[in-house]
Amino acid sequence: MENIKLTSDSHPHETFTQEEYMVMKDDLLRPIQKIGLAGKIWIGFLITVCLAGIYAYYIQETKSKYVTVSLRDYTMWGVYISNFVFFVALSLIGVLMSAVLKLTHFEWYRPLSRIAEIIAVAAIMLAGVSIVAAMGRPDRLYYLVTHGRIQSPIVWDILVILTYVTTSIILLFIPLIPSLSTCKNHLKNMPKWQMKMYEIFSFGWEGTAEQWKILKKSVRILTIMVVPLGVSIHTVTAWLFATTLRSEWDSTNFGAYFVSGAFLLGVAGMVVAVFVFRKAYNLEKYLTPMHFDKLGMALVFMSWVYIYFNINEYLVPAYKMSGLHANHLLNLFIGDEAFFYWSVILFGMGIPAILPLFPVMRKPLPLTIIAFAVVIAAWFKRYLIVIPGLVHPYLPIQDVPDSWRHYTPSLVEMTIVAATFAAMLLIVTVFSRFFPIISVWEVAEGKLEGKDEIINYK
Amino acid sequence: MKIYNYFLILCVSVFYTSLTFAQEKEAKLSISFTKVDSVNVCKALVTSEDKPVKEVSVKLYVHRLFGLLPIGDAVSTDENGISTFNFPMDIPAESNGKLTVIAKVEDDDNYGSFETKEEVNLGVIKVATDADKNERSLSASRERAPIYFMVTSDLIIAGIWGTLIYIVFQVFKIKSISSSNKKKSQVKINN
Repeated sequence: MENIKLTSDSHPHETFTQEEYMVMKDDLLRPIQKIGLAGKIWIGFLITVCLAGIYAYYIQETKSKYVTVSLRDYTMWGVYISNFVFFVALSLIGVLMSAVLKLTHFEWYRPLSRIAEIIAVAAIMLAGVSIVAAMGRPDRLYYLVTHGRIQSPIVWDILVILTYVTTSIILLFIPLIPSLSTCKNHLKNMPKWQMKMYEIFSFGWEGTAEQWKILKKSVRILTIMVVPLGVSIHTVTAWLFATTLRSEWDSTNFGAYFVSGAFLLGVAGMVVAVFVFRKAYNLEKYLTPMHFDKLGMALVFMSWVYIYFNINEYLVPAYKMSGLHANHLLNLFIGDEAFFYWSVILFGMGIPAILPLFPVMRKPLPLTIIAFAVVIAAWFKRYLIVIPGLVHPYLPIQDVPDSWRHYTPSLVEMTIVAATFAAMLLIVTVFSRFFPIISVWEVAEGKLEGKDEIINYK
Repeated sequence: MKIYNYFLILCVSVFYTSLTFAQEKEAKLSISFTKVDSVNVCKALVTSEDKPVKEVSVKLYVHRLFGLLPIGDAVSTDENGISTFNFPMDIPAESNGKLTVIAKVEDDDNYGSFETKEEVNLGVIKVATDADKNERSLSASRERAPIYFMVTSDLIIAGIWGTLIYIVFQVFKIKSISSSNKKKSQVKINN
C-alpha cells in the first residue's frame, strides 16, 4: 500500500510519480499531525459559543416564548429564518465550486472541491437546526412527518434539505476514500481510535483499476445529481416566501433571485475559506494566487447576475409604487431601513461588482477583505428580505400591540444564531483536523494530465 | 381649611353625578321584520315611558363568529320612533339556521347606550357537503392530493433516493473487491 497509484492499465495518463506524490502527501497530512495552540484556542472558543447557544435554546424552550423571543403575530419569522436562508444559500457553494466547475472542465476546481463540500455539508446541517429553532417546539418536526401534506412547500423544504444533506455527505465521503487510505498508511503517532476510523472508512481501498472505475463513476453520477438538487433546494426556500401572503414576496422572480444570490455568497465564502486554510495550514503551494484571481472574476460575474435580479425585484415594483409595495419600498429606500439597505447593496453587490475588475484587487488579501464584506452583507440581505416584508402585512394594522409593529431580535435569538455560526465553523475546523482538506489524488491526477493551471499559475 | 375643600369637591361631584343621571332617561328598543315588495325590512322602535322617541340614531348589526357585521349606516328614528333598514337577503345563517340581529343605540345624549337582540329566520342556510372535501386538489388534505402530483413527487423522490442507495452499494462494492482480492491471494499462498 506504500505506493498508492492511479494504475495505468485503466487510464494510461492517470499516474503520477512517487516523488511528487510523497511531497504532496506530506504537505497535506501535516495539519492533521499536530494542532497548535492557536488551533486549540479557536476550537475552545467555538465550543463555548455553541454551549451558550444550547443554553439559550434551553431558555427559549422552557420559558414563555413571548418573553424569550421577539417574534409576534406579524413578524412570525425572524432572525432564525433569515439565518436559515443564509445557510441554505451558503450550502450551494458545493454545487458551484465542485460540481459546476468539474462538469464544465475548469481544472482549477481540484484543490477547492473538498473545502467547498465540507462547507456545504456544515451549512446545510445548520440550516436544518435554524428551522427547528424557528419552529418553537422541536416535536413539530415529528408532526410534519406524520401530518404534513406533500402539496405544501414546507414538506418539500424538509425533504429537499434531508436529500441534500445526504447527497453532500456521500459526495464528500466518496472522493475521501483514497485519502483515508493515505492517512491510514502514512500518519504516525496518532490515537488508536483515529487510525481505526481511517481503517474502517477507507473501505479496503487498494487503488486497483476496478476500484478507481467504481469510484469515478459514483462521483460522476453524484456530481451531476447535486446540481439540480442544489438549485431545487434554494428554489423551494424561495417558494416558501413567494407562496406566503406578503406584498414584498409576491414575485415570480424569487427562485432565480435566491439562487443567484446564493452563488454570489458561495464564491465570496470560498474566497474567505481558501484564504484562511492557505494561511493556517501553509497550503500556499496548492491554493495559489491563481485561485484568487479566478474566484475574483467569478465574484464580479455573480455580482452582476445578482444585481440584475435585484433590479427586477426592487426597481420594477418601485416604478409602479402601488399601495402596499410603496409602503415597504419607501421604508427601504428612504425610510427607517434605508442606511441598512444601501449598505447591503454597496458592500454586498456594488463593491464586488466593480473592484475585482482591477487585477490588483484580485490578489489574496484585498479580495478576501471584499469577499468578507460580501458574506456579512449577504447575511443582512437575507434579514432585509425576511423582516421588513413581514411587518407590512396585507391586513390593515389596527389596534395591535406596539411590539407587533417592530422587530428587534432578542438576546436569546442572537445567541442561538451566533451558535449556529460557531457550530458551522466547528464542523469545518474539526473535519480539517482529521481529514486532508485538499484531495491529494484529485490534485495529483490533474497535474499529471498536463493541466498545469491546477498548481502553477503562469 | 383643607377638609372644607374636600367636602366642597364631594358635594359638587355628588350633585353633578345626580344631574347627569337625571339627564339620561330610560329608553327601550324593539325590532320587527316585515316584507315589502319581496324586500325584507327591519324596523327598530325606540320608546321611552311608552312614548315613541324621535331623532335617535340606531345601528343594526348581525352577529358573526368574530364580531358584529354592520347592516348599512346608522338611521335616525322618525316621528313615530321608528328607524327603517333594508335587510339583505343573502346573509349566511348560523349553525342553528337563524340569524341574531342586534339593534343598538350608542352614546345618545339623552338616553345613553342600550340595545336589543333577536333571533330571526332570515339567513341563508348553507349546507356543507362532503363532496367538496373529497375533491382532490392542491389545497386538500394529505390523503386528497391530486394523483398526478403524488405520482410525480414519488417518482422524483424514488429516482433521487434510488440513485443515492445505488451509490452506497457501490461503496460497499469497493470494499468487496478488495476483500475478495485478499481471499484470492491467500488461496494462492496456501497453494
